[in-house]
Amino acid sequence: MLRTALLSVLLLLGGYAAARWLTHDFQVWTDEGARRLEVALRPVDTPRVAVEGPGVAAPDLPALLAQGGGVTIVDFIYTRCQSVCLSLGSSFQQLQAALQADQAAGRSANVRLLSISFDGVHDGPAQLQAYARGQHADPALWRFVRVPAAAQEQALLHRLGVVVVPDGRGDYEHNAALLVFDAHGRMRRVFDLAEQQLALDYARHLAGGAP
Amino acid sequence: MSARWAAACTPARQGAAALALGVLLAWPAARAWLEATMWRHMLLQFPLWMLAGACLAGVLPPALRARAARWNAHGIAGLVGVGVVLSVLMVPRVLDLALRDPGVEATKCAALLLAGAALRASWGAAGLVVQGFFLGNVLPMTAVVGQLYSDTPLRLCNAYLQDDQARLGAWLVGVAALLALAWLARVAWWLVRREATGQALAPDSP
Repeated sequence: MLRTALLSVLLLLGGYAAARWLTHDFQVWTDEGARRLEVALRPVDTPRVAVEGPGVAAPDLPALLAQGGGVTIVDFIYTRCQSVCLSLGSSFQQLQAALQADQAAGRSANVRLLSISFDGVHDGPAQLQAYARGQHADPALWRFVRVPAAAQEQALLHRLGVVVVPDGRGDYEHNAALLVFDAHGRMRRVFDLAEQQLALDYARHLAGGAP
Repeated sequence: MSARWAAACTPARQGAAALALGVLLAWPAARAWLEATMWRHMLLQFPLWMLAGACLAGVLPPALRARAARWNAHGIAGLVGVGVVLSVLMVPRVLDLALRDPGVEATKCAALLLAGAALRASWGAAGLVVQGFFLGNVLPMTAVVGQLYSDTPLRLCNAYLQDDQARLGAWLVGVAALLALAWLARVAWWLVRREATGQALAPDSP
């Protein structure tokens, strides 16, 4: 009986250790939560993938993010999207309105917006241009790109932890979120769609002199 | 019927069954199919690995089984182990990690295999009280997790769709309820039978 008790205690301790490792000390329960925590602790470098889009002249994504030396809030979209991207779009429209208000008040925060398509096959520059017009995007603040090379697109999604799942009805589900990048092209923080104000405040703070 | 069944399940046949099932489950195409949806991942792949483990438990020679039983009085340690494995594997992050981390995937499958073996080796020895305590912990936990999966507006796994998650949640609740009912029915049947044999014996007893 003593041996049984000992083994049971050992098994319970093993389970506790496994659960603790899995949940980062019981802070997160999902892989998305773990990804956000890991990004906050260790910024993620952006891979050098070539991008193209209307009015965008940069050899690769890190160079695009470095332009102007500011902070960029990034989201992932596909232009045929009818569900979550619409709320992402309206979320970005509200962010754009806030940034325009900043500019009008003469306290430009040097924060910009970038939408990256993960449907590079379909979303050519013309589609992105039309989508940008539909979203009333201000080209100085909000730009749209795709990654033309499929292998590079996969590498980018993999590095940034963006998982895209076809839903079988011609659409995609993906872990939509607001990704904040610094001027060195590093992903510093990932915010939920509902945390739009927090993402903006963090981006403003990051642009305002933080390293 | 059960005697014939026991005679047909020779250790060699059980070993072969465990091996065949293990190879099938580890075969990349089958693995991809089982893990393509959330419900197949949890409600098909998990129990099948446990079934392979249960077959494997039949291969152990009696001497080894007796030695293992000394560490598993009343099946307590075995059922604690099964409970621990099932609880940890219900953390939603496991499903995502298993898809992209081969180490986590291998650990998950090995843990389920051992849990299946431990469950079979412990269940008979456990008796109704320990069995009831085990199910009283594991089944409500399964039902609560299922309810959470079907009710939450959040997608808990990046790799799986929200409606898949909701369906899995509903089925987890259903499976937990069915297992509870099956066990209660078995207990009731056992009690009735004991009473019946008790009455039949009564006139003979002094």
